[in-house]
Amino acid sequence: MKWQAPHSLRARLLGFLIAAIAATAALQAGVAYRTARAEADAIFDWQMQQTAQSLRPGLAPAPDGAPPDDENFDFVVQVWTSEGLRVFESAARAALPQRAVLGFSDVRARGTTYRVFSLQTRSQVIQVAQDMAVRREMAAALALRTVAPIALMVPVLMLLVWWVVGTSLAPVARVGAQLAQRQADDLSEVAETGLPDELRPMVRELNLLLERVRQAFDAQKNFVADAAHELRSPLAALSLQIQGLRRAGDDAARDVAVARLSAGVERATRLVEQLLVLARQQASAAAGAAPLPVVLADVVRQAIETALPQAHARGVDLGFERADDATIPAHADALRILLRNLLENAIRHAREGGRVDVEVRRGAGAVVLAVSDDGPGIPPAERARVLDRFYRVAGTGSTGSGLGLAIVKSIADLHGARLALEDSPTLGGLRVVVDFPEDGRPA
Amino acid sequence: MRLLLVEDDTMIGESVRDLLAGEHYAIDWVRDGESADTALRAHAYDLVLLDLGLPRRDGLDVLRALRARKDRVPVLIATARDSVRARIEGLDAGADDYVLKPYALDELLARIRALLRRAAGRAEPAYAHGGVVVDPARREASVDGRTVVLTAREWAVLEPLIARPGAVLSRTQLEEKLYGWSEEISSNAVEVYVHGLRRKLGADLIRTVRGVGYTVPKEAP
Repeated sequence: MKWQAPHSLRARLLGFLIAAIAATAALQAGVAYRTARAEADAIFDWQMQQTAQSLRPGLAPAPDGAPPDDENFDFVVQVWTSEGLRVFESAARAALPQRAVLGFSDVRARGTTYRVFSLQTRSQVIQVAQDMAVRREMAAALALRTVAPIALMVPVLMLLVWWVVGTSLAPVARVGAQLAQRQADDLSEVAETGLPDELRPMVRELNLLLERVRQAFDAQKNFVADAAHELRSPLAALSLQIQGLRRAGDDAARDVAVARLSAGVERATRLVEQLLVLARQQASAAAGAAPLPVVLADVVRQAIETALPQAHARGVDLGFERADDATIPAHADALRILLRNLLENAIRHAREGGRVDVEVRRGAGAVVLAVSDDGPGIPPAERARVLDRFYRVAGTGSTGSGLGLAIVKSIADLHGARLALEDSPTLGGLRVVVDFPEDGRPA
Repeated sequence: MRLLLVEDDTMIGESVRDLLAGEHYAIDWVRDGESADTALRAHAYDLVLLDLGLPRRDGLDVLRALRARKDRVPVLIATARDSVRARIEGLDAGADDYVLKPYALDELLARIRALLRRAAGRAEPAYAHGGVVVDPARREASVDGRTVVLTAREWAVLEPLIARPGAVLSRTQLEEKLYGWSEEISSNAVEVYVHGLRRKLGADLIRTVRGVGYTVPKEAP
């Protein structure tokens, strides 16, 4: 099973801190122990040497003499004659074998290790020995004493870390509480004040996200308000047309009323359809599907085919003026909707028996789609506004949805294309130009 | 009664014009704010049916200009602007009433009658003159309890006269109440309708003021 670090920052910090302190303490204890051992060795060795030297002038052979002052360091002193006869030992219990090695040596005897110093004089061998356990214990005590303060500091450090982590993360808890208390539609900013630098980028991104959501929300609200307003007019017309039908006195009046009513239904249907197209368009733009390569002229050809009956009904000559072979990365369905709207607009506003031209032109780094008609055109002052939802040019008497160009704009934006309205130099009416970038990076 | 219809939506305009014409009103229809302003300056209307979201000039703007000229013509706003603020704004700008689209035609007609009644300085829905009672809401007249049926044209001539007893209206003024712009006026139409009314309601109701026009005399108290 894999070990996982705890998710709490506080627990993680505490864990790692304790581990680090423990490792440091262990290292320090080890170093202290080794140093103490080395120093103890040097000091005791020197003392053993001194003791042996002090016995050198000659030790009165006194088998029952008092042992020298050696209680402190558990020194064991033995003196041998040259003949190998032990003439003195400081403690009966500490009999050590005679050693031929002169100077320092370690001897194992009676279950422990002794440090032995042997000194050869003319007549005697003096041996001074010490149990190594003494040295170990002393070094251990020293090492412990150096570690003790660290051990005492551990709880203090833990409390300190606990507190620091707690106060540093308090703003996070505050942001959390603020967000938790919010109403569903409260998309205002989260305050950045008092936040640690590490968290600030996250909160900033959150605020930017909230801002985007708020804009989308507002756009939606405006759209709904506009749509509600715009839906009322066709409904009012329908309601009045029904009254007209009901009050129609004779067949002729009834025929007029029925014709008006069906026109009203058609108009309401068209408006609802266009609203749905626009809403779907915006939703799919938000979903961000990847564009695929599309041969623009092919889509245009299909769109022209679809629009032909409508064009013929008004006697409008609809056709391709120029069709360069160009592929653009595009959303084919959206592109079809764009073309349908442009063609329908052009056919509706062209003169009766007039002409609508479509061009696909490959330019430098761009593919240009242009739809021109020979209608009245749009005055320059109105050109920006006709792209707004539900805007209709005054005096055209048009009962269109007012959404066509808004849909076109939305789809053009999706493709990173530039939409421009101009005077048509050839036909004199409106010319709508959609400038697709060839690399097609959606803006 | 001559009404000005200000409506930019072709479908709504057509229907309202025809339906109101069927109710014996003479209708002039304009489709934008500038034309509405021009029409209001050029003609005296009995009532204005005003849409707000108009091309070229907003309806509220037209209304404010109208009231600034101290024109007291009743104005009924009929619009799709449904917010409380828009309604308050409309009434405070000088409108007499406010209906929301889509509205029921019968309600619109009732509101028009109410405004016309108030404009004539009355509160009671029916006119009574001697033995003649005239109820505009039901378009019914009765003489001494006997119901009489009037045609729309007869009605159009009778209503402005009986609405303000004592006032004298010329033939031209009555013709204006009878026909919208687009309609052709036959030269002696008013005389024909007055003759019909006298036959149905009695000769005393409508008097001819020679060289001036016609009047319904004020009732002796």
